[in-house]
Amino acid sequence: MSINPMNSTPIRSETSGLKTDTLFLNMGPQHPSTHGVLRLGLTISGEVIVEAMPDIGYLHRGVEKLLETRTYAQGVVLADRLDYCSAMSNDLAFCLSVEKLLGAQVPKRAQVLRVIMAELNRIASHLIFFGTYGIDIGAFTPFLYAFREREMVLDLFEMCCGARLTYNYIRPGGVASDINADWIARCREFLDFFKPRLDEYDTLLSFNPIFLVRTQTVGIITPKTAVAWGLSGPNLRASGVNYDVRQAEPYCGYEQYDFTVALGKTGSCWDRYFCRVVEMRQSVRIVEQALSRLASGEIMAKLPKVLRLPAGEAYSHIEASRGDLGVYIVSDGGLAPYRLHFRAPCFINLAILQEILVGKKVADVIAVLGSLDIVLGEVDR
Amino acid sequence: MMPRSWPTEVWKDPWSLPRYRAGALWLGGILFGIVLISAVVGELCVWGEKLFAFLSHLGLSVVVVDWIWVLVKLGCVIGLIVANGLWAVWWERKISAHMQSRLGPMYAGGFHGWAQTILDTVKLLLKEDITPASADKVLHALAPVVAIAPCVIAFAPVLFGKELAAAKLDIGVLYIFAFAGISVIGIVMAGWASGNKYSLLGGLRAAAQIVSYELPRGFSVVPIIMFAGSLDLAVIDQAQAGYWFGFFPRWFIFYPVAGQLSFLFFLIASVAETNRTPFDIPEAESELVAGFHTEFSGMKWSLFFLTEYGYVMLASFLLAVFFFGGGAAPLPFLRFIPSWIWMMGKAMLMMFVFLWFRWTFPRLRVDQLMEFNWKFLLPWCFVNIAVAGLILAWGMR
Amino acid sequence: MIAYFKEVFSGAWAFLQGLAITLRYLFKPSITVPYPTEKLTPYAAFRGILLVDPAKCIACGLCAKACPSTCISLESQVHPETKKRIPKPEWYALDLGRCNFCGLCEAACPTKPKSVWHSLDYEAVFSNRDEMVRCWKPGFPLAGRVWDPRKKDFKDPKGQISVKEMRTRP
Repeated sequence: MSINPMNSTPIRSETSGLKTDTLFLNMGPQHPSTHGVLRLGLTISGEVIVEAMPDIGYLHRGVEKLLETRTYAQGVVLADRLDYCSAMSNDLAFCLSVEKLLGAQVPKRAQVLRVIMAELNRIASHLIFFGTYGIDIGAFTPFLYAFREREMVLDLFEMCCGARLTYNYIRPGGVASDINADWIARCREFLDFFKPRLDEYDTLLSFNPIFLVRTQTVGIITPKTAVAWGLSGPNLRASGVNYDVRQAEPYCGYEQYDFTVALGKTGSCWDRYFCRVVEMRQSVRIVEQALSRLASGEIMAKLPKVLRLPAGEAYSHIEASRGDLGVYIVSDGGLAPYRLHFRAPCFINLAILQEILVGKKVADVIAVLGSLDIVLGEVDR
Repeated sequence: MMPRSWPTEVWKDPWSLPRYRAGALWLGGILFGIVLISAVVGELCVWGEKLFAFLSHLGLSVVVVDWIWVLVKLGCVIGLIVANGLWAVWWERKISAHMQSRLGPMYAGGFHGWAQTILDTVKLLLKEDITPASADKVLHALAPVVAIAPCVIAFAPVLFGKELAAAKLDIGVLYIFAFAGISVIGIVMAGWASGNKYSLLGGLRAAAQIVSYELPRGFSVVPIIMFAGSLDLAVIDQAQAGYWFGFFPRWFIFYPVAGQLSFLFFLIASVAETNRTPFDIPEAESELVAGFHTEFSGMKWSLFFLTEYGYVMLASFLLAVFFFGGGAAPLPFLRFIPSWIWMMGKAMLMMFVFLWFRWTFPRLRVDQLMEFNWKFLLPWCFVNIAVAGLILAWGMR
Repeated sequence: MIAYFKEVFSGAWAFLQGLAITLRYLFKPSITVPYPTEKLTPYAAFRGILLVDPAKCIACGLCAKACPSTCISLESQVHPETKKRIPKPEWYALDLGRCNFCGLCEAACPTKPKSVWHSLDYEAVFSNRDEMVRCWKPGFPLAGRVWDPRKKDFKDPKGQISVKEMRTRP
């Protein structure tokens, strides 16, 4: 690790012959806008970054190891706590993997419910991104507007599954509880309320000239770099690479829904930001379609009370809010997985920081870091 | 226990909500009360003269009377700055809260938490004063004083109403700008003395920003000085008295092109000078934690705060005097309300604009801030001066 | 030249639109409530603090098995003469510091109505670790009791202001 402050090399100013020294700036883990407990070791010359080193692990809870001693029903509870901003996606990825190994068929209604919940959670999660990114750039008000709308999504979740953050709603074989007509009416009310709000967000933040100059030319990731570093989700699509697991390898019947994948042009911070805003619009479309095709039926497949997976391995991945979330299960036929691994999109997206931060200003560090939209719960696991 | 209500329900018919009605009633009542009381009290300068006459008749020597009079005025100004700090913080919190669909402080004092900032002050006074181990102790203690002293001094010629100023200065505008520029030394000192890298960056940014924005701030009021023909705030105030066609106020902001442009440039430069969003890069909380005052706590920190709000108030009063006719009533029949209330009202409106900006806009980056200043604001300030010259040459003969 | 002015004016227009939005919300009623004086009711499905009915519990231990964070422990009564297990809890303890609020214990409970369930109470206030552990014995209230190591006795949990108004059973 070269984040030892003693190692920073002095640079020589060519023109003046003055000997200048670099400064080691320790950003985080208690910095207000490193989105959790990320530590960035920045070597700066004036306000320009010479070297950036993300240092992770402050939120490590050993979830993968813990899961080896939990049954599959209990595993969902822990999977919830990875990316706590979009717990539904984690549940979904985990359950899809379990069902794949089990060979279980999920009822139609449960699949639609899963889509509704995952997309609502995507909206909630992107709203957090939208709000906190506003704060990163210095606009505080969009944050509270975003949370006002997110509150409504959380209310919907609370009505349906009883929790507001860690839902434990999507279970192996289906979903935990059904929704009623009242819930559907509330959901439609939210969607109708939400669509004009998105236009307001665009006026307030997306096309604000200050916001544009702060983000449009900053943190550009070329498609080649993006693929080379294994980016996924909106971060990848902002660079113009059309890869969305929902369309590339549809799950839960995503192939039946009509939606477009938001693509950016240059791969700048603004593109990454705007991809998410457009994704919120698409999520609204998907939820509307899903609500209209909700047919009555079972919500839980007939599975044994005690799940015992056949020996073998399974990998399934979904398009979570922050990227391609994969779950790899190795089972030895016992009650708990023999080994379980999460392909956490945030962890992989975060690594690119050390390349794209070099040469940027200190103020841009926040803009770039915020635009990658990491959740440390998933990075450290 | 209350049922959950969504914005869709709450916003449908706001007047059916008891709290909304009560708030509107309170607000209207307070405004009406202020107007009523002020109309009874009348011009404050009259009362000042009466007080001075009373002091002179006490039989003290002229020197002592002068000293007492200076102390009275000093007490008034400092009291105003402190009271402004209390008021502005509460107001900022309420305005921001309501802009963000929140409530803000509601508990302390009863009506909309009006006592919140007073209690906060008590808290700040009782708070531990922390000096970091790596700080330069003397400079660390001196920095807040160096920051706030020019702020207090700069208020001397500020006009609070008709003939209501602590000192009558012929070069009032120049004096204010000169002293307002000194506070930056305190900020740089704070940044350096804290022994914290974030503070240092904040201090450096503040130095660059404030020194740069002095220029457009000064140049943007040159048209006003040209129109009024004086640097004296009282003369500038008097130059805007009266009405065109008997009802349209002769304020400088209504002078074609030059008036509006100067107003905009002065407003922008003032926002930058007071380190507020979108120009709050010295304290940019998302980048530099709290910038130059990261390592300050308790009363030292609140002195910085008072300075910031003091300058906001200064800028608000200057905006009111320069562009909105100072103590002049907007319509002839409203002249029964005394000038200091008009002045105060206009200044508060301008302060609201400051808050409004802060809670709407994101923050610029350092280099963009400089670019905006040197490549946009300053050249157009010069163009504006030329326009004002043309207006004076042909239009206002 | 024209493009320059166009840019300046469109920028200024965008600023004005932003200002208009915040001004519009300034006059809309707020959607929050001042919390400690006014409280919102959770929806019926809400998973709050766990309550236990020791009179209904049959001490089967399914909840303890279902719990992913092993926060439930219990012991069934034993007949003093036959030394046989009686389907009644001697004691039932919950470590709320470990509880995940996942609802698996409630789902696993075989009694009707449930003898362990999530109430609507969300105001769990603890000042030390001892208070996180709740204990139930026959005759204890539904919210359980907390062991006070200083007085060597059980006491009612403090801070749960609203538990009495809350739904007692699903």
